[in-house]
Amino acid sequence: MKRIYLSLITIISLIDSAYADRLVIKGSDTLGAKLVPQLAEQFKAQHPGTTFDIAAEGSTTGIAAIIDGTAQIGMSSRRAKSSEIGAASAKGINMKPTIVAYDGIAVIVNAGNPVKSLTKKQVEQIFTGEITDWSAVGGSGGKISIYTRNTSSGTYSDFKELAMKKRDYAPGSQKMAGNEQIASEVGRNPAGIGYVGMAYTKAGGVKVVSIDGASPSIQSVQNHSYPYWRPTFYYTNGEPGGVAKTFVDFTLSSVGQKIVNQVGFVPIK
Amino acid sequence: MFKRFIYLLAAASFIFGGIAARAQDAGALLDLLVRKKIISDQEAEEVRVELTKEAAATSAGKWKLSTPITELELYGDARLRYEYRSGQTEGGVSPPNDWQERKRERYRLRIGLRGVLADDWFFGVRLETSQNPRSTNVTFGDDTSTTSGSTTTINGPFAKNSDGINVGQAYLGYRGFKDITLTGGKMPNPLITTLMTWDADINPEGTAEQWKHTFTFNFGGGGVEQAQQSYAKDSKNLAITKTSEPWKLNVDLFANFAQFIYDDVNPENPVGAPRTSGGKLVPTTDAWLLAWQVGARFTFPNNLYAQLAPTLYNYTGNGDTFNGHYVGGDPALSNSDSLNTNQVGINSLLVFDMPMEIGWKIGELPVRIFGDFAVNFEADDRAKAAGFPGKGDQRYAYQIGAGIGQLKAKHDWQLQAFWQHTEQFSLDPNLVDSDFFDSRVNIEGVVVQAGYALSDAVIFNLSYGYGWTADKSLGTGGTGDIGINPLNKYQIFQADLNVKF
Repeated sequence: MKRIYLSLITIISLIDSAYADRLVIKGSDTLGAKLVPQLAEQFKAQHPGTTFDIAAEGSTTGIAAIIDGTAQIGMSSRRAKSSEIGAASAKGINMKPTIVAYDGIAVIVNAGNPVKSLTKKQVEQIFTGEITDWSAVGGSGGKISIYTRNTSSGTYSDFKELAMKKRDYAPGSQKMAGNEQIASEVGRNPAGIGYVGMAYTKAGGVKVVSIDGASPSIQSVQNHSYPYWRPTFYYTNGEPGGVAKTFVDFTLSSVGQKIVNQVGFVPIK
Repeated sequence: MFKRFIYLLAAASFIFGGIAARAQDAGALLDLLVRKKIISDQEAEEVRVELTKEAAATSAGKWKLSTPITELELYGDARLRYEYRSGQTEGGVSPPNDWQERKRERYRLRIGLRGVLADDWFFGVRLETSQNPRSTNVTFGDDTSTTSGSTTTINGPFAKNSDGINVGQAYLGYRGFKDITLTGGKMPNPLITTLMTWDADINPEGTAEQWKHTFTFNFGGGGVEQAQQSYAKDSKNLAITKTSEPWKLNVDLFANFAQFIYDDVNPENPVGAPRTSGGKLVPTTDAWLLAWQVGARFTFPNNLYAQLAPTLYNYTGNGDTFNGHYVGGDPALSNSDSLNTNQVGINSLLVFDMPMEIGWKIGELPVRIFGDFAVNFEADDRAKAAGFPGKGDQRYAYQIGAGIGQLKAKHDWQLQAFWQHTEQFSLDPNLVDSDFFDSRVNIEGVVVQAGYALSDAVIFNLSYGYGWTADKSLGTGGTGDIGINPLNKYQIFQADLNVKF
């Protein structure tokens, strides 16, 4: 009797788990490394039975996943390109952006670097390779080591547009997979410079330089006075439904936006 | 409701623009509306996506360019031409005073793409009609039949045998160094030249390095000066003041160097014994044409300018096709024998050339006086090798002309005329203009041209040239369309309708 009872419980559990909500989220490393996992944890606490499948391999992968239907939410730290929106439309996909947080792309240097501020022009010149030595921008001298994200990263594209006037990165720049890797390399290299989302500026061994006198902060990003501010997005196929809608709503709620702030992003309000 | 208002606002602002342009321009408008707190960031993003979707659905929106392309231009032209060309044998040549003429209805098409890539690279490709290096013209009805050996094939009217498309230009370049342009491939001529030395249709093959820098000299002056007095309606005197510009001189200094592959012999080292001819080894080195040009353009106030571009051309190697000694015809021979002498050899050519130009404006009309002077320093050797050892003084070429007007916009007109004199051993006959005077040297003559712009893109041109043998003791070297050597009383008339796009 006891054996039959236990078997019944097991069968019910298996059936229950088969019908539990599963949310597939792919895309941006900026959102997916810390923010979305923390949102997911809090969400699961309120919605037991929900499982998350989060893959953070770059904004391009998130948008592509919405287009090919392999994710319900595509995280992106950049706007979808016209070619992506066109490709989506051709497949009958309605790309809907939802701004979930703001971010400031911070330019970081090694904590031991005497440089504290740069102009926008100097940032452009450094990352395009026009300026190659720290002495040209008030530093101690030495060849500048540039760390950037790889080409599938939204942060890579956003920085190119916001800070480099769409010019190409310097040929010798080193491509890193994520914000944490850039922060880590710059923290180890006295001649290093890179850029990371605001949430990653607390890494050891790095400091943020001001740009034309403006530093990234909640206020300067919300009022758009920091030059390298950007919205970050969830992309969905039209208005989200089901658990995806619930999760988007949760992200935009006061609880979700509190997590946004705690992780180091800027809430939308 | 508010989103609809934003759509209407964006549409109204760009109502005459293409939808693709609206999608691009909307960003600035949406940013402004967000800054003014008229709409939120979220609303702006939704509008951006909608406009981008609409743009992607248009035919313009479906164009995809690869990521490295930052700029791309499609350009070209098509031309219809009527041409009459004729010439006469010189008195003593057999058959004497014989006449050949050609009347041709022709067309040409040139379509090109040129663009800029990331990191200061650029490229260009152009497809052209005709295989002739000095012409892009195709003659209507010239391919009704083709003969191979003893077999003649009738192709019929309106055949396409001569209507092929060829690669006229294919080049790549780099502009990453300040003031310097590097180009490689089959390129537009990078040198400053005139029709006396280079046919305008030639796209040389090889490499070129160009440097140009502008120096500006201010010579003070300027300020406000009081001019004549005038009278206002109330009869009170008014002093008219006018501002004079400071006296400024712009000097564009430039240097153009080129290394053109003239004739590439392959294989340079064949299997087996090297070729001999007449008991002598046949040379197999590639032939190169090297050009060394430095010059300056002076731009003075009041639209006055002057330009000089001294150039040295030298040839290295022998090649395969041009390694025979140039003769250029002989009036002592029959016409056919004269034509069969070597017309293309590039031996003993070390040519100094100086194209020149000055220009100014009369009212709004541009006026220019142009000219060219060339001398072959090795003419003595060239004449001796041709079998005319006493004719080394036939080493000079001159051109002088004038023009008024321009052809840039609808109703523009232009008149131009020049006189030209080229001596038998002065220039490379493989490069000189193929129209004036039939790709020949040892010709003296005049050309007059008139043009009128029927619209911004359509130009009608009339050209007439008349030339005669300069030195009647020599042939008129070069390979032209008129089968006469020496060529005398040469006439050419062209009526062109040109459409640029």
